[in-house]
Amino acid sequence: MPTLSDISPRSAAWVTPPMLVLGFVMLSAPLWLGAVGLYQYLGIEIAIWMIYALGFNLLFGYTGLHSFGHGAYLGVGGYAFGLFQHHVGSSLWGGLAAAILAAGLAGVLVGAAVSHRRGIYFALLTIAFGQVFWFSSIKLHWLTGGEDGLLNIPRPPLDLVFLEVPLGDNLSLYYFVVAVLALAILALWRMVNSPFGRILQAIRQNEMRAAFVGYEVWRFKLMAFVLSAMFAGLAGGLFAMAQESAYPDVMSLHQSGLIVMMVLVGGGLVSFWGPVLGVVLYFVARDVLGALTETWLLWYGLMFMAMVMFRPEGLAGVLHRLRRRPEPGATPRPAASEGA
Amino acid sequence: MVQLAPHLFNGLTLGLLFALIALGFTLIVGVMEVLNLAHGSLFALGAYIALTMIDPGWAQNTALGSFWLGLPIAARYAVALAFAPLLVALAGMLLERCLRPTYDKAPLYGLLLTFGAALVIEELIRLGWGTGERHLPVPGAINGAFFFGGLIFSKYKIFAALFSLAAIGAVWFFLERTPYGAIIKAGAHDSEMVRALGYDLARLRMFVFGFGAALAGLAGIVMVPIWGLRPHVGIDVVIPAFLIIVLGGVGSFWGAVVASILVGLAVGVTGAYAPAWSLMSMYLLLIAVVCYRSRGLFGRKSALER
Repeated sequence: MPTLSDISPRSAAWVTPPMLVLGFVMLSAPLWLGAVGLYQYLGIEIAIWMIYALGFNLLFGYTGLHSFGHGAYLGVGGYAFGLFQHHVGSSLWGGLAAAILAAGLAGVLVGAAVSHRRGIYFALLTIAFGQVFWFSSIKLHWLTGGEDGLLNIPRPPLDLVFLEVPLGDNLSLYYFVVAVLALAILALWRMVNSPFGRILQAIRQNEMRAAFVGYEVWRFKLMAFVLSAMFAGLAGGLFAMAQESAYPDVMSLHQSGLIVMMVLVGGGLVSFWGPVLGVVLYFVARDVLGALTETWLLWYGLMFMAMVMFRPEGLAGVLHRLRRRPEPGATPRPAASEGA
Repeated sequence: MVQLAPHLFNGLTLGLLFALIALGFTLIVGVMEVLNLAHGSLFALGAYIALTMIDPGWAQNTALGSFWLGLPIAARYAVALAFAPLLVALAGMLLERCLRPTYDKAPLYGLLLTFGAALVIEELIRLGWGTGERHLPVPGAINGAFFFGGLIFSKYKIFAALFSLAAIGAVWFFLERTPYGAIIKAGAHDSEMVRALGYDLARLRMFVFGFGAALAGLAGIVMVPIWGLRPHVGIDVVIPAFLIIVLGGVGSFWGAVVASILVGLAVGVTGAYAPAWSLMSMYLLLIAVVCYRSRGLFGRKSALER
């Protein structure tokens, strides 16, 4: 199985062919979404979840830290965005900044406690913390509205100093989210191909060796955790805006497990673009299979099980294998030992 | 000052019930080093199968069905308690078969596979038994309430607590005092040596998984009259089981039992002062313990830390 560190063609480039393809698809989507039986709001959801999944993969795929409670930061971001609009003032930038900062703060608190842990204990602690956030969001009725959620979150207009664009309709919100997605992808792409990103990958491959080389491993784990929480918070803020409300549901273990499924099915363990593929596959499966049968999760779950059993490298890994035809006489190189 | 004694008692019974849930889970973790996220779904499956066994509504027009429904409910309950877990064991063995490709990979894959299986089982339950809340009938003798020392107790809770006490004892006896238990423990300790001694490791693993699944199903039948039966009851169950295993230390039998009772007491006592937050206390207990003792109360080093 190839790893994330093997597939990074032209890593030094700021813009790569997959980015152009994704950009073209996302920008042209409003023209054909309706024609293939989908709808504009789905595009917003997919773009938001791409931000979430790509940020999550910084932690899950690149650093090899398997968080099963990441929905918490998405939720915190959503609530922070909504509370900012309700109590501080209607502002897009303020709301998004609040979402990112609040999720980052939650990430620092949790990350400080989990960054010394590894393997299954890390996963378990993230589950426990995720549950604490989920539970609090249900019980702190005065703050979050409890299970009813935080309602009536406005969609503040995009304020670009010299011009103001209303984001009330789904099309303009879609383009705004795609623009944020583009920025997020650029930031993450630079990050994973920077020395910092290399250290994260070194920690995944062999934490002890990375420590012996002289890196303070837990600091980098903490940084990866906080950064990925901040991306989740950004996605959460955008999602609260899209839904015009925020609910505790996104913080549940079920939802946190789904993002892990999306990233893995797409091939987040072998490619930067895996999470993108996984998110598209999940939402299209939800809407297309969901229209055909009420039990679409059964089929999605079976597909996921088959994938884990036979193709754990996910969609991106399968594509990679198809594209790179085996050279005659080439011997497969020994697999790098993965501490993941 | 809230009177504490009844809450302590409540917490203790709850702890024993948690222990029953965690038994199968700790067995599978300890022997196979797989965190079986489908444990809760197997728990639900056991309860649903028992429901169909006790009250097969569709069969009442057949001769056998009407004879069966003519039996007293206690007899039908006993039969379901004995046989439904065996069917769950079959489902568990099937799941073990699916898990085989993940044995030589990182523990993450086993976790993910069982998460997928949990989704699939939950959806199958929705298909087979509908999405609504169901009610598992229990015999009249253990239903209702009684007074003792001026306090009111639920008979069923006492029955369930005693039942789990008996189950803990039986599993302990099986693991510690029989040759089969010795082989299972040896398989957890050094699987290569067990294979070298001529035991079929594949069959051993399948048996252990089936046994763990049967315990999950058994716990399901005993618990759902208290907790209610919904398709997603699995996820409500697997999380306490999970916490208990980590709190007690992965793979430690007594660790799991002690942790269950601690969690039960924490939930019970918090229930006395802040009922809305009682379930939160177990997460906080876990975080407090694991931040200081990363392997839990009785944990040893295990392959899951890689």
